[in-house]
Amino acid sequence: MKDTLAILHRLSAHPESRCWYVAWHPLGALLASCGGDRAVRIWGKEGDDWVCKCALSDGHQRTVRKVAWSPCGHYLASASFDATTCIWKMTNDDFECLTVLEGHENEVKCVAWASSGHLLATCSRDKSVWIWEVDEEDEYECVSVVNSHTQDVKHVVWHPTQELLASASYDNKVCIYKEEDDDWECRATLEGHTSTVWSLSFDPEGQRLASCSDDRTVKIWKECTSDEDSTDGAWKCVCTLSGFHGRTVYDVSWCHLTGALATACGDDGVRVFKEDAAADPRHPAFYLSAHVPKAHNQDVNCVAWHPKEAGLLATCSDNGEIAIWNYQSDA
Amino acid sequence: MASNFSGVLQLTDLDDFITPSQECVKPLKLDNKQGRSVAKIQIEDDGNYFQVNQDGQMHKLEKARITLNDCLACSGCITSAESILISQQSHEELYRVLRQNKSDSIEQKVVVVSLSPQSRASLAARYGLSSGDAARRLTAFFKNLGVHYVFDTGFSRAFSLLESQREFLERFSRKEEDKKSLPMLASACPGWICYAEKTHGDFILPYISTTRSPQQMMGSLVKRFFSMQQALEPQKIYHVTVMPCYDKKLEASRPDFYLRESETREVDCVITSGEVLKMLEEEGVSLNDVNPAPLDTMFNNMCDEELLCHAGSGSGGYLHHVYTHAAKQLFGVEVQEITYKTLRNKDFQEVTLEKDGVVLLRFAATYGFRNIQNLVQKLKRGKSLYHFVEVMACPSGCLNGGGQLKPVADQSNKELLQQVDELYRAERVSAPEGDARVVELYRSWLEGMGEEQAQQLLHTQYHAVEKSTSGLTIKW
Repeated sequence: MKDTLAILHRLSAHPESRCWYVAWHPLGALLASCGGDRAVRIWGKEGDDWVCKCALSDGHQRTVRKVAWSPCGHYLASASFDATTCIWKMTNDDFECLTVLEGHENEVKCVAWASSGHLLATCSRDKSVWIWEVDEEDEYECVSVVNSHTQDVKHVVWHPTQELLASASYDNKVCIYKEEDDDWECRATLEGHTSTVWSLSFDPEGQRLASCSDDRTVKIWKECTSDEDSTDGAWKCVCTLSGFHGRTVYDVSWCHLTGALATACGDDGVRVFKEDAAADPRHPAFYLSAHVPKAHNQDVNCVAWHPKEAGLLATCSDNGEIAIWNYQSDA
Repeated sequence: MASNFSGVLQLTDLDDFITPSQECVKPLKLDNKQGRSVAKIQIEDDGNYFQVNQDGQMHKLEKARITLNDCLACSGCITSAESILISQQSHEELYRVLRQNKSDSIEQKVVVVSLSPQSRASLAARYGLSSGDAARRLTAFFKNLGVHYVFDTGFSRAFSLLESQREFLERFSRKEEDKKSLPMLASACPGWICYAEKTHGDFILPYISTTRSPQQMMGSLVKRFFSMQQALEPQKIYHVTVMPCYDKKLEASRPDFYLRESETREVDCVITSGEVLKMLEEEGVSLNDVNPAPLDTMFNNMCDEELLCHAGSGSGGYLHHVYTHAAKQLFGVEVQEITYKTLRNKDFQEVTLEKDGVVLLRFAATYGFRNIQNLVQKLKRGKSLYHFVEVMACPSGCLNGGGQLKPVADQSNKELLQQVDELYRAERVSAPEGDARVVELYRSWLEGMGEEQAQQLLHTQYHAVEKSTSGLTIKW
């Protein structure tokens, strides 16, 4: 492996707690993190160091599991085990809680913004996926509640360009949702993983979906075209990365600048996979490009590629730390 | 097991109403003798428990039996709430009572079946009959099995509509002093009620209409008026209702609808339209082959043998009736036709009464979980502009309830729903205040007894449910 993944910074982001998730601001200057200490922290660069610009500690009563920036960068959503999702508005470097989305029966596991900025999705241990709409007056209303999963829903992610949503669950399945008439419904169910699917990531064009699981594999899925066998709207698994991860793969992130695939693993390692350019597009292949076995000294929960700077990667761990890496690849 | 209850109730977690908590709170009536209580318990091979006293005497211990009534009264049970409801209120139970009637002359019960207009329409659609025809044939079918009377909850619905109208005017009159009088939220849907009690508790309950649903109005009529009139003890009547959903089973089991002195429920058993179909299939009978029987005139919404219906939605017409009544009584406006405006989606509709550019009344119908969510959240933020909302848990309302018959082979859900809707509305429309027997019952039965008692028969109460935080009750 000539490619490298080198540590740039380590931050003790959520001391004595877990850091569950990190999310880069769409313009790249800020990094949001959240953790078991019920806080959301906003990090920015001051000179060569990353400093905590803001700490939002009063928004939630329990662990904050995920954070997500709106595409325009003015809002931040935080999903919490206290069953609520907080929407924060950023003005200068200050954040105020705009509204609290209630309705889930129990722990909210994920929140994600659609690329249009008008739709938001949340999912929960209550097995449901909610789609919300925000209007010009910053009012949020529930558009649909979909119950396609039979267990805890761990993650939701929107397609990079279309109004299409994907969800991952403890029931080992991935569901794809589309709007039909005035309601959202599950159009396709992706089966293949043999254990909990923890996270999802679309490729830069939105043609393929990567999923990672407790079964220690990463799968790449593609929507079947009309000329292929199978029903309309079905997805099939075109690649499985197995044998690379020692434990549960908790997160996967597909870089929209370089096409590299990064994973966060329960074996404390961070890995980067590259696509084999010579492979048949119908049967893509990926190889392990870089691997840091002890990226953190505990489970790595999240991995996030920088939206503007190619090769820049953030990870966070159960040990409360955030790490920032530089990935270099010759190809 | 895929749940049959409404989406709203499923998300609410039924077990919080009939909680599988670890301790049975109901104190069992035991004949305990005072004295030294050192004894040995021995379990025999046949599973019977024997207490062995100090002098070696064995005495068989009574098995603790928790009946359904106890279970629901104490909210402590290990079995899943859903399985209790489904097993104790099913067509099997009705068969059991009918069989017992045939064999046992001591435990005889007068069996009354109250059919809902929505169930009638659903069955009519399946057999290609008119609603009235279906009613007559179902009457014959049930009576052939041993049922004594077949009534129509369309009749008792007149009381629900009239009481709702009155309640609205009363709430409207005190809207300045009482901030929680409006919007008035309809109360006929148990899925909505249970969700409100559990999830929003004391915040939302004051807004909910106290008027009983047609099912429970019929409960009052059958077990209090009819029983008295027939010189029967309420517990001697076995009252079955046929409903378009499973949530109604939960409503019938509410402690508020249990008559303590007679130790009987106002509605003993709720069966769904689908369960009636099962009964027909089990009997090898098609409704088309049954000879129609005349309708029981006592509690049927009819005129001269002809079945009637109420105006408004397929979920009871609450918005329609409260709106037209309020428009007339408060503003002297005679509403000829109501214009419904569809908002966010087809299950969210609005009706406004305007005069000279001023909105006098703003009513809405919100069906389905997502719309109920938005309604409640808006209320919480103080941004609700409505005076009245007809709230139903099922998308498309009661005609689309979880207990209705499913479409046949080539039919789509949408097509079936349309067909059922047409059959539902096909009868001649009657105004609830126009029914002479309803007026008579108010005069002779209700007004005679004093306001408090009448209130008890026509209205009900709601109770906020404590959210169970015990780790043992979490379903993973």
